[in-house]
Amino acid sequence: MADTNEAGRLKQETAVEKLLRRPEIGSFVVMLVIIVALAIASDGKSFNALGLKNNIAIIAQYGIIATGAAVLMIAGEFDLSIGSMIGFAGMAMSMMLKWGLPFGMGDATPITAFIVTLAMTLALGWLIGTVVVRSGLSSFIVTLAFLFFLRGVTEVSFRLINKSTQISGLPDYKEESWFANLLGGDVFGWFYDLWFMLGGNLNRRGEQWVEGFDARFLWWLVIAGVAYFVLSRTQIGNWIYATGDNKEAARANGVPVNRVKIGLFMFTAFCATMFAACQVFDTNTSDAAKGNLMELFAIAIAVVGGTLMTGGFGSVIGVVFGAITVGLVANAVFFIPAIDGAWFRVFLGGILLAAVFANERIRKRITGGI
Amino acid sequence: MADPYLRVEGLVKRFGPFTALGGVDLEVFPGEVHCLLGDNGAGKSTLIKTLAGVHEPTEGKIYIEGKSVEFRSPRDASDAGIGTVYQDLAINQLLSVTRNFFMGRELKGPLGTLRMDEMNKIAHDEMLKIGIDFSDPTQAVGTMSGGQRQTLAIARAIYFGAKVLILDEPTSALGQKQQMGVLKTIKKVRARGDIAIIFITHNEIHSRLVGDRFTFLALGQTIGAGTNAEIGDEEMRRLMSGGAEMGDLEQELAAI
Repeated sequence: MADTNEAGRLKQETAVEKLLRRPEIGSFVVMLVIIVALAIASDGKSFNALGLKNNIAIIAQYGIIATGAAVLMIAGEFDLSIGSMIGFAGMAMSMMLKWGLPFGMGDATPITAFIVTLAMTLALGWLIGTVVVRSGLSSFIVTLAFLFFLRGVTEVSFRLINKSTQISGLPDYKEESWFANLLGGDVFGWFYDLWFMLGGNLNRRGEQWVEGFDARFLWWLVIAGVAYFVLSRTQIGNWIYATGDNKEAARANGVPVNRVKIGLFMFTAFCATMFAACQVFDTNTSDAAKGNLMELFAIAIAVVGGTLMTGGFGSVIGVVFGAITVGLVANAVFFIPAIDGAWFRVFLGGILLAAVFANERIRKRITGGI
Repeated sequence: MADPYLRVEGLVKRFGPFTALGGVDLEVFPGEVHCLLGDNGAGKSTLIKTLAGVHEPTEGKIYIEGKSVEFRSPRDASDAGIGTVYQDLAINQLLSVTRNFFMGRELKGPLGTLRMDEMNKIAHDEMLKIGIDFSDPTQAVGTMSGGQRQTLAIARAIYFGAKVLILDEPTSALGQKQQMGVLKTIKKVRARGDIAIIFITHNEIHSRLVGDRFTFLALGQTIGAGTNAEIGDEEMRRLMSGGAEMGDLEQELAAI
C-alpha cells in the first residue's frame, strides 16, 4: 500500500509557512506598504474622517468591477466591455429618470429605472457570453467589439433623446426613495458616530464632520462576500475554477461549461450596473464618458490581486487587497498635492508587471513547473 | 462461465466513405482485464469512443448485461456503467484532488454549499482502496505524478458507478516505475471482482502481466482474440504487428 506517493515527499508545512504561500500574500504585503507610506506621506490626512470616506469610495468602485472581472477571469474569459457597460447603464438609468420609461410605460421611479436597466444589461451580458461560447472566438475580441458598440450606443442615445451627452440636475432621489438612498446614500453611519463620540471626526466648528461611508462600500462588501462564498464553498465555485483551468476536462465530467461562462458575463454586467447605479444616485448626474477605461482597471486589479491570466486560479480576498492598493494610489494625489497625478499610472504599470511575474511563479509551483 | 457485462456484436462505424470499424466483436467479463491491442489506426480509439457514447455506431449492437442499449451521449454511457479514463485524464491541474474527484458531481449541502470534509474523506478513502495513500486531498493535482493522476481518474470512475472501466493507454507517457504502479492499480481493481476492465495498450509485456483476455484489431477488423492461456508469445507478436507473419516482415526488412 501507499506506494508511488509523491505527496509524502512534500515537506510538512507549519501554519506560518502555509500562510506565506497563499496567493493573496503578495497583494497583502503591497497593500500594507502602500497604506503605511500613504499615511506618512500625507501626514495622516488620507486616513482622517473625510480622507477615509473618499478613499473607500474609489476603492469600492474599483472593487465592485474588479470582483466581476476576477471571477470571469478565473473561468478563463475577459470582459473589455465593463467600462462601456457602466456608461450604458448610467445613461439608461438617468434617461429613464428624466424622460420616463421606454415604450410609454410612464414615469420612472428609482426602482423601476434600476430594474429596467438591469434587465437590459443582464440581457447584454447574456448576449456577449452566448456569442463567446457559441462562436468559440476569443472573448478579448468579442468584448472589444462590445466596448465600442456600447459606448457608441450610449452616445447616440443621449444625443437622440436628450440632445446632450450629459444629464445633470436630476432631483435628489435619496431624499424620498429608500431605494435610491440604498444605492447613493450613506452607510455605516455608526462608525462615524462612534468616532465622533470617541472625540474624533470633528470639523473646524467642533461638530461631527462625516456622517457615513458612501453606499457603494456596502455593495462592494456584499458583492465580494458573495463572490468569495460562491467560489470557495459551493458547487458553482468548483465549476468556475474547473471551467477556467481545463474546459474540456470540466465538460467531460459533466460541468455545464457554457452556462458557467454565460452566467459570469452576466455577473460582470451586473457589477457594471451596480457601479453605475451607485454613481447615478449619489451624484444625480450621468455622462456618456462614465466608466471609460474601467475595464482595464478591473483587469489590472484582478491580476494584482493574484488572479491568473490563464484562468483556473484566483482569490477574491486578493482582489480586495488589490482594489485597496490601486484605489489608495489613484487617490493619493488629493492628499499629497506635491506629486503629479500621472505617477498613479506609472505605479499601476509597474505593480501590474510585477504581479504577472509573481502569479506565473505561483502557477508554475502548483502545476509542478509546466 | 459468467455472462459478459458488456458485449459488442458486429460493430461497424463509418465516417463518410471511410470505414473505421468493419464489424468488431467484443465480450468483457466482470473481474477480468480485457486487453485491446493493435497498431495505430487499427480502430481502438473509434471502438472505445463508440462504447463511451462519443460516436454512435453505424451498424451493430452493444449489449449491457444481455440487454441491447443505444448511447446518444457520453452521459448515457456513463449512466449505463461505462467509465472511460482517457489519456488526458480529464483532470484540472490547479484544482485540489478532492475538487477534481467530485468535479461536476459535487456533494452539496443546503444552499448548494460543498460538503468539503466529507468529500475530502471519500476522495482519500477511494484512492487508498486502489493503492495510493494521498495524505492531503486538498493539495493541487499539479503536485501529483502521472501515475497518481491515473489512479485519481480510475478511483473517480469507479466511485461514480463504473462497471466497465475503459483505460486508454494508461501506461504510455509514463516512466517505468509509474507504469508498474498503474499495472498494480489495474490488478487491484480486477481483484474487486465486480468491474470489467478494457485495457488499451501498445505494450505486449504489460498486457501479458495483467490481461485475462485479448482482442487484436487491425484496419478496423478483429484479427484475433483469446484468453491469456490460449495465445502464445509467437502468436501474440504476429497479431500485434497487424497479422503479418514475422517471417514476412523479416524478409521485407532484409530486402531493404
